[in-house]
Amino acid sequence: MRGTSRQTRRRIVASAVVLVAVVGVFLTRLVDIQVVRAEEYNAAAEDVRSSSETVYGPRGDIVDATGVVLADTVMRYDIVLSPKQARAGSFDRETPDPADPAKTVEVEVTTEQAAAELGSVLGMSGDQIVGTIDEYLAADPDSDFAYVTKLVDTETYERVRALDIPWVYTREHPSRRYPNGAVGGNLIGFVDPDGNSVAGLELAQDACLAGEDGEVSRLRSLRDWVTIPGSERVVKHARAGGTLKLTIDSDLQYSVQRTAEAQVEATGAEWATVTVMEVKTGRLVAVADVPTVDPNTPSAIDAENRGSRAFTAPFEPGSTFKALTAASVIDAGQADPTSQVVAPYRITPGNADINDSYVHGDERLTLTGVMIDSSNTGMSLFGERVSDEQRYQDMLDFGLGTESEVGFPAEAPGDLHGGPSVWAEDDQTKYATMFGQGLTTTAIQIASAYQTIANGGVRMPVSLVDGCVAEDGTVTQKPSTEGRAVISEQAAQQTSQMLERVYADGWLAKQWEIPGYRVAAKTGTAQVPDGQGGYQSGYLVSVSGFAPADDPQFVVSVSIMNPVKMNSSAASAPVFRDVMSQVLKKYRTVPSGAPAPELPATW
Amino acid sequence: MSAVPAMSLPDFRPRRPQRERPVLRPAPERRRRPRLSYAVTALAGIAAIVIAQLLLSVAMTEGAYEIDGYKVTQVELGREAQVLREQIDALESPQFLAANAEAIGMVPNAAPVYLRLSDGAVLGLPTAAAGGAAAAAGTVANSQIAGVPLVTEQSAVETGGAVDAAVPAGTAPVSPASGGLPTPATH
Repeated sequence: MRGTSRQTRRRIVASAVVLVAVVGVFLTRLVDIQVVRAEEYNAAAEDVRSSSETVYGPRGDIVDATGVVLADTVMRYDIVLSPKQARAGSFDRETPDPADPAKTVEVEVTTEQAAAELGSVLGMSGDQIVGTIDEYLAADPDSDFAYVTKLVDTETYERVRALDIPWVYTREHPSRRYPNGAVGGNLIGFVDPDGNSVAGLELAQDACLAGEDGEVSRLRSLRDWVTIPGSERVVKHARAGGTLKLTIDSDLQYSVQRTAEAQVEATGAEWATVTVMEVKTGRLVAVADVPTVDPNTPSAIDAENRGSRAFTAPFEPGSTFKALTAASVIDAGQADPTSQVVAPYRITPGNADINDSYVHGDERLTLTGVMIDSSNTGMSLFGERVSDEQRYQDMLDFGLGTESEVGFPAEAPGDLHGGPSVWAEDDQTKYATMFGQGLTTTAIQIASAYQTIANGGVRMPVSLVDGCVAEDGTVTQKPSTEGRAVISEQAAQQTSQMLERVYADGWLAKQWEIPGYRVAAKTGTAQVPDGQGGYQSGYLVSVSGFAPADDPQFVVSVSIMNPVKMNSSAASAPVFRDVMSQVLKKYRTVPSGAPAPELPATW
Repeated sequence: MSAVPAMSLPDFRPRRPQRERPVLRPAPERRRRPRLSYAVTALAGIAAIVIAQLLLSVAMTEGAYEIDGYKVTQVELGREAQVLREQIDALESPQFLAANAEAIGMVPNAAPVYLRLSDGAVLGLPTAAAGGAAAAAGTVANSQIAGVPLVTEQSAVETGGAVDAAVPAGTAPVSPASGGLPTPATH
């Protein structure tokens, strides 16, 4: 009896140990599943049961000064097919019974028929689509995914859906649209089909415009794919991009582009830029570049024409620059509009060799006369009255030699040919820089310099962007409104009066006349470097000016590159007139009717 | 062993007074019969909860289908709105407006003139507009308006009749003002 009891006890102990071990294993497993790897399993379970969807955070709009949408985001669709399923055989489609419209009959549709139907909707041939299917299957017999076409519009999408082909799918694909086409196209830039910014403000202001897609997961019923109430869970909040507000006016921009385009066509020019700037604020209200890109179809023109030459293409400004030199000389107190020089056809100060564009004898000209005749020799004789250092400093103050405040992609700073120390070694450059050769500026910089003269010598920062309005309404990137005095008010006014005489008495007086208005303007016919130390045969012809001269409101600056059919500033004058009159009309700028001041041109 | 009479052995142990030993035992409970009403209430409550949940769940499921239906409608209407918005934007573009203006014979005038209403003064020099370069040539591309007919190319049905059948077709087409401005029909 004692032996039995010991055996029993041993059994009990053994069972207990086994029991504890088994419970221990279960417990460990429980803790492992419920605590240690709970997250992993939950996620896996969620994956099986829920479907997550992208909530699009659309890229922000680009709007003009009046709120007209220049760029916005729309939903487009990619058409996708499954090559494997397409070749799996024909399918049945329910179509209305011709005998009894209330009923439907099943009609067999072959792959070729379906491809032909799809092709007719997408503007492709059925063979093309069958070709795609076979091509993908040849590469991979299990191929389940092939794009038929990308970015079709809603109408096409609905027609594809209506075909009800089981092996054709659609995918949403947010895309960019430019409702006004090429209006401001070179400024706005464009994005590639995947939504990455490529050029223009789309690129420069990507931080403002870019949105961020969010994600929502929800449980769906298996049978009919209906969302189970209360199962929606925001995985990530979507954020819409900011709205970029420009200083551009789209109507004016259109009109300016059209005028420029017409003249480029008429004169056979390579390219042209027209800049319209508000005198009091430095805001750019229109910047036209020809050739113009339609951002909806950027590949339609050459890549070199897709940027904005007004910002990116520096050129030797030529005679329009004489207004800056004259302003410097007057500001330094070395001359006034009636100061006198004798301007010969040719002068040779130091090693320099300066001559005028036409042969003439010695002429007794005032500074005003030098401007009207656009005499290089006369301007050199006035320009040398100011030190190179002072002239250089004035150029910098006018905004030359550095990129403007706009910060356009690939914006050029222009080249002042080193500065006074370099000029000192080369007399030709020293004198050439007085009448706008030997240095380069962008069209924007010239417009800004004329804005300074028109605005009583105070240069306003150039602005193209009026602000970025974020989703929550906060506005960033407001342009600065702090001006900088470059020359005295008196110097600015006297320069302005001389430019008025140029407008009234210059050789283009008839071509650029806007009846009733007082206008100040200066032409330029600049030689263009050929890149090998010499000059090309063609010219860059330009006009810069502002109106009304007695209360300046707008600067217009026109540059036309190599107008082969009319190689003089006569090509740019009608553009200046048409653009300026359009601007004055547009902004209801009423002429004062006061006469222009009289200044003697000769003595 | 047990057959031996107990009496044969004298009992030497002193007898303890057993009765006097205190015994702890629970106080006698006043047991009541459980009331039936409690059970009924509890069961009814549970049943009510179950039914309510069932109904709620049915309602929610029904609501889910309703919501789904509305969502589908919303997506479709959203698509329609986008298509219409795109059409309107294209028609609003300056290219289309200018092309229409020129199609009915308008030209830009390079000499702005103003009439001041307070004293009737004419500001600026009135100059007749010549259909200059800007009016004849120069195009600003817009692929968005490709294929949209100009107002002069549309039939009367498209311009007037389709919008409002009550408008007589004769008033819809706009003809170039060759003999002065047309007299408005309103009074």
